[in-house]
Amino acid sequence: MSRIKSNLPRVLGTVAAVTLSAMVGGQAWAQEIAIGAVVPSSGPFAEWGRSNTVTLKMLEQQTNDAGGINGAKLKITILDDAAKPAQAASSLRKLAGDEKVLAVAGPLTSSAAEVTFPVANEMKVVSTSQASSKPGVAKLNRPWAFRNTIDEGVLAKTTVPFYKKAFNIKTVAVIFDAKDATASTVGKAIMPAVLKANDITVANENDLLSFNTGDLDVSAQVTKLKALNPDGVVVSADYSQAITVLREMKRQGLIKPVVGATQLISSAILKAAPEIPVIAPATFYATMTGPAPEKFTATLTPLLRKESGLPKDIEPSMYDANIYEIVSMYIDAIKKAGVTGKPADLEADRTKIRDHLAKLEGFPGLGGPIGFNDDGDAIKAFYVLQGQNGAWDTKVKGCSSAPNHPAC
Amino acid sequence: MLIQQLVNGLTLGAVYTLLALSFSLVMGILGILNLAIAELFMIGGYLGFTLITAGFPLPVAVLGGMLGAAAIAIAIEKIGYQPLRDAPLVTPMLSTLGFSIILQNVATNIWGSDPAQLPDEYFGKQYALGPINIGEMQLIVLVATVVLVAVVAYIVQKTPMGRALRAVAENREVARILGVSADRLTMLAFILSGSLAGVAGVLIALHYGTITPYLGVEIGLKAIAVMVIGGTRQIWGALVAGPLIGIAEVLTVAYGGSQVRDFVVYGFMILILLLRPQGLLGGARSDQGQRV
Repeated sequence: MSRIKSNLPRVLGTVAAVTLSAMVGGQAWAQEIAIGAVVPSSGPFAEWGRSNTVTLKMLEQQTNDAGGINGAKLKITILDDAAKPAQAASSLRKLAGDEKVLAVAGPLTSSAAEVTFPVANEMKVVSTSQASSKPGVAKLNRPWAFRNTIDEGVLAKTTVPFYKKAFNIKTVAVIFDAKDATASTVGKAIMPAVLKANDITVANENDLLSFNTGDLDVSAQVTKLKALNPDGVVVSADYSQAITVLREMKRQGLIKPVVGATQLISSAILKAAPEIPVIAPATFYATMTGPAPEKFTATLTPLLRKESGLPKDIEPSMYDANIYEIVSMYIDAIKKAGVTGKPADLEADRTKIRDHLAKLEGFPGLGGPIGFNDDGDAIKAFYVLQGQNGAWDTKVKGCSSAPNHPAC
Repeated sequence: MLIQQLVNGLTLGAVYTLLALSFSLVMGILGILNLAIAELFMIGGYLGFTLITAGFPLPVAVLGGMLGAAAIAIAIEKIGYQPLRDAPLVTPMLSTLGFSIILQNVATNIWGSDPAQLPDEYFGKQYALGPINIGEMQLIVLVATVVLVAVVAYIVQKTPMGRALRAVAENREVARILGVSADRLTMLAFILSGSLAGVAGVLIALHYGTITPYLGVEIGLKAIAVMVIGGTRQIWGALVAGPLIGIAEVLTVAYGGSQVRDFVVYGFMILILLLRPQGLLGGARSDQGQRV
């Protein structure tokens, strides 16, 4: 008893020292893990940005309800870039410099990514775009830039042969949004090359039609398309702009199958001209079957519909799925790569996340396993969809890498 | 194809005409550029769109769009113009720019940034006249434009109210000494201008069958160019310059490409500003608007 009594001050001292040490940062992990996101909550892509925000808040709550990351609470700081490249770059700078986040999800557009990725390299923080698909944008900004999307050039090589076969296409006419980086590249370069490789004649090869983001009147362009009398029409634009083209095609009686890039995938475009078939590739769509996508859609849909400023009939988009996967991959990296989240380890932690993503193979994404190629683009499964009479229907399944890759 | 393109150009020109007229009502009388008019056009369009999809007939939708836009125009006059009336001309213009941004944000929050689309049943009939395809709404837009321009011209030129408006435009202080209530007429100019923008918004939204919160910006800038080309103080000028710009724009897109479209429209505006600042229908150099 007397020995216990004599040791008591030493024992209490040890307990106090351990407690104090933990309080001042001696524990293995931080109490909060900070991730950043750059989404367009205002401006022309506000719908995508706002639904991305709801998606990230859902993931944050799911993670924290399940005990956090290695016991630390997940905090996602979301900044609005209004789809403006300069604002996206300064948002990333703020997240990496002031908020000290471990990694950033976003920005959304290729135009924003082209300007923001160099800043990510300068700040040495991982930035992964949820929607950019213009060829080579991440490749030019290695090693910190990633995209959870597939290069449109890869997707077109599967989409166009299906389009040709399904609608017996011999000639097409092209119209694209000249002010959108991805739409412009797809319309001017990718589609004409892939169409040519598939022996499809581009009726306006030397006079590709274009319009500018925000144009409501495309009557002149559609009148010209109609005069060319093609078997089909390539519409390279994001869905909100493509809706204007489809409505005008319908008004002028140009009912021809349309083909385009991932930018066309949305539930809104199906209402524009239900009788016009729309063919486009996607890595996720709201009616996708399987336990993971079905659970994701069932959980997210009511949250999106409850959010003010979003349509009452909104469904999760491919970009919601992509940003959900991006932050899930960051969480996976933090758990598996020994990331501490402590301020002193910030630089090392960011490097560990980058290296983990670069080597990632078979991460369980919503549409199948995900990895990254040397260009920083996702290796994942994709689907060629046909939208008609109000619904998307899977027609072809493809993969962005060789068939034997774990992600395929 | 050329005739169809001319029809397309006339319809587009009608849109510009109506909006240019809204701008010139305030510009011609008060000498300020109310930049929020483009967003009143957009808000009017959304209100009409909402009423049509709720099952109301076209006249109710037009009235709804007109009254809604007029109500906002009153708020702009009370908050954004009246307190700043004696400030340098650029101050109220900046204030209306602020209103414009706020209105765009409000529309995005209420209706979302996705294009609102009119269901198929509201598309209206299409008439094929030989090589020309013309829609029911397209005809309504063209006829309504001519009627509205005539009505506004009649109000401004033939009624006591119009004479009072012109008196204020000439010299606010002298008009006041002669017993004209300048404040009441300023408000009236804002209401007339807002109503016209609202009607234009409804007609255009229904014609294209789709609308976005960003509709006003692009069309608004072109309408300002039309106002300048037609003459800021000439109501009929908009009726001439609107179709002229509409047709020029459509033909440029069809035969030159959309990449040179804005060069043609704004290049023409700059040319007019340099060579004929009073506009195409302006009689004398004194007809030119104030520099704002």
